[in-house]
Amino acid sequence: MEVLKRTFDFSDFPRTDLCVAGAVALFLLIFPLLPHSSFAMATMIQFLMFSVYGMGWNTIGGYGGQVDLGKAQYVGIGAYTTAVMMIRWQVPFWVSLPIGMALAVGWSFILGYPLFRLRGHYFAIATIAVSLVLKDIFEAWSFVGGARGLKIPLRTDMPSFLYLQFREDYYYYYVILGLFFVGLFYINWFRQSRIGYQLRCIKDNEEVAKSLGIDAHWAKIKAYAVATAFVAAVGSFHACYNFNIEPEDTMSLDLSVLIALMAMLGGAGSLWGPIIGAAVLVPMKNYLGAWFGAKAGLVGLDLIIYSTIIMVIAAFEPRGIWGLITRLRESRRN
Amino acid sequence: MTVETLLAQALKALVSGLTMGMVFGLVALGLTIIFGVMDIVNFAHGEFLMIGMYCGLLTYSGLGADPLFGLPIAAVVGFALGVGCYYGLVQFLLRGPMIAQLFGTFGLMLFLRNLALLIMGADPRGVHHGALVGKSFVMGPGIVVELTKLTAGIFSLLAFAAVWWLMNRTRIGLALTATALDGQAARYMGIPTEKMNAFAWGLGGTTVAVAGALLVNFWPVDPNVGLLFTMIAFTTVALGGFGSIPGAAFAGLIVGLLINLPPIWDAISAFSQWPILTAGEMHQFKYSFVYLAFFLIMVLRPRGLFGWKY
Repeated sequence: MEVLKRTFDFSDFPRTDLCVAGAVALFLLIFPLLPHSSFAMATMIQFLMFSVYGMGWNTIGGYGGQVDLGKAQYVGIGAYTTAVMMIRWQVPFWVSLPIGMALAVGWSFILGYPLFRLRGHYFAIATIAVSLVLKDIFEAWSFVGGARGLKIPLRTDMPSFLYLQFREDYYYYYVILGLFFVGLFYINWFRQSRIGYQLRCIKDNEEVAKSLGIDAHWAKIKAYAVATAFVAAVGSFHACYNFNIEPEDTMSLDLSVLIALMAMLGGAGSLWGPIIGAAVLVPMKNYLGAWFGAKAGLVGLDLIIYSTIIMVIAAFEPRGIWGLITRLRESRRN
Repeated sequence: MTVETLLAQALKALVSGLTMGMVFGLVALGLTIIFGVMDIVNFAHGEFLMIGMYCGLLTYSGLGADPLFGLPIAAVVGFALGVGCYYGLVQFLLRGPMIAQLFGTFGLMLFLRNLALLIMGADPRGVHHGALVGKSFVMGPGIVVELTKLTAGIFSLLAFAAVWWLMNRTRIGLALTATALDGQAARYMGIPTEKMNAFAWGLGGTTVAVAGALLVNFWPVDPNVGLLFTMIAFTTVALGGFGSIPGAAFAGLIVGLLINLPPIWDAISAFSQWPILTAGEMHQFKYSFVYLAFFLIMVLRPRGLFGWKY
């Protein structure tokens, strides 16, 4: 009961925040009923996917302060588990989703134990290295299709909720929206839980945290596992949504960094940060890409603009957009 | 295959590994200097290398000169790039938390890579003519040494000697070392630490751009070449110890050998007739060894072989 109460307890936010959040939630719920292009729908689905990725990353990277740049390997594990099980053994999505999450979490425990002996830059680079090794293995492994990846065959009984195969995008939209709300309420519980406070203490000063009796190493491994579960779940969804997965788009370093970047741009270590970050970056990336990519000779210009924004944010407001909002509020109060 | 050809194949891989290892050492040198002085990891390091490679390529294709004339040009461009990045970006990043430094230099990496993509296009390009290109000499039966790689190795050694002399025998080098050991104390002693930081970035940019100009003689360049070299440089620096110059040279050799492990392994497995991972299967994991080596070194001995700072 106590747990349930904390899950739905948003009372520490000001009322304006809650009104905005409610309006956004309502908009998300009715978005498919509004007139929209299919490109806008695809962008919205991507926005929701990256929000959940970012929420996951936020547990270890935001609240825990451990910059993890290897999350894509768990996206890959989730996506490949679902795809392999669906192709070879006809296992429904809703069965392979928890199995994929469990495999990814198991792998994260194996990796987390040595990884969290490292700190700061060393941890960040080591996560990149490990994730690239796993990608190389998947590219060479013929059981999962090698570098060409896997293709999930279309079923004859097409609108299949069990196997998550639909012709219309709005079914996918509501599935990922469901995951999004589950994730949001979980993180709301997480930030007020014992481990949430422990992580914030570790982020501020690890030595002090240890002297208070917190097992820092174990707390970080647990948070890493939580982050992994989020990311692997969306990975499974990604496999069903795209039908076609390959190591290059599910396990690349670019995806890992994008995940971390969304959370950081919005504001790492806050509940709304990853959502704001995804809401800004995903549409910008898609529309800039579509806009400049169509014009010959301008390849790369969208990413130049995008990287400039990253540099400016990193240099002048490392707490991200949420940090900017808090600062504005504080200055208005004084 | 006879024993002789296998042996020759392994020896060739060994020589190639050692000469390329010198260049890898030079690539890592810049990273280790920057890291030693101000504790910041430069993700754009491989992109600096890419720019050095394009300097060599453009002297060849634009001016029609031998790619070796690209070396001084690359040195100047690298220095300007390093100092420019410091004053334009890094000095702001240093005020923020570590996460800001990671993403700031990551943004720089994306920026430089896509700028190169916009200007130069995505096709890989190589150098096809030149004083050294395509020439080789035979050292024993079947062991062919490519002149480009050998010259690159020798030039890298010279560059190492020059940097070692600069760091240990000149006033500016001593000031740099002092800044690395204790920035605040160095400031009290009247050393302009801001300028020293900028100088460290300039020096790092110079060494890595020179390495790029050497590398372009035998490695085709495209805008995405950087990430691989960034990872190689991270591994080399971790192995040698963060901040150690002789460590970078020595670790470069080891990484060069690691990358040439698959041909050596082919020789061994064909010789001993083991059924596992024969004939080319190892080649897919060429770079995995480098990444794995980084992970193992960091976990088992974070100080590296010669490190004093971690």
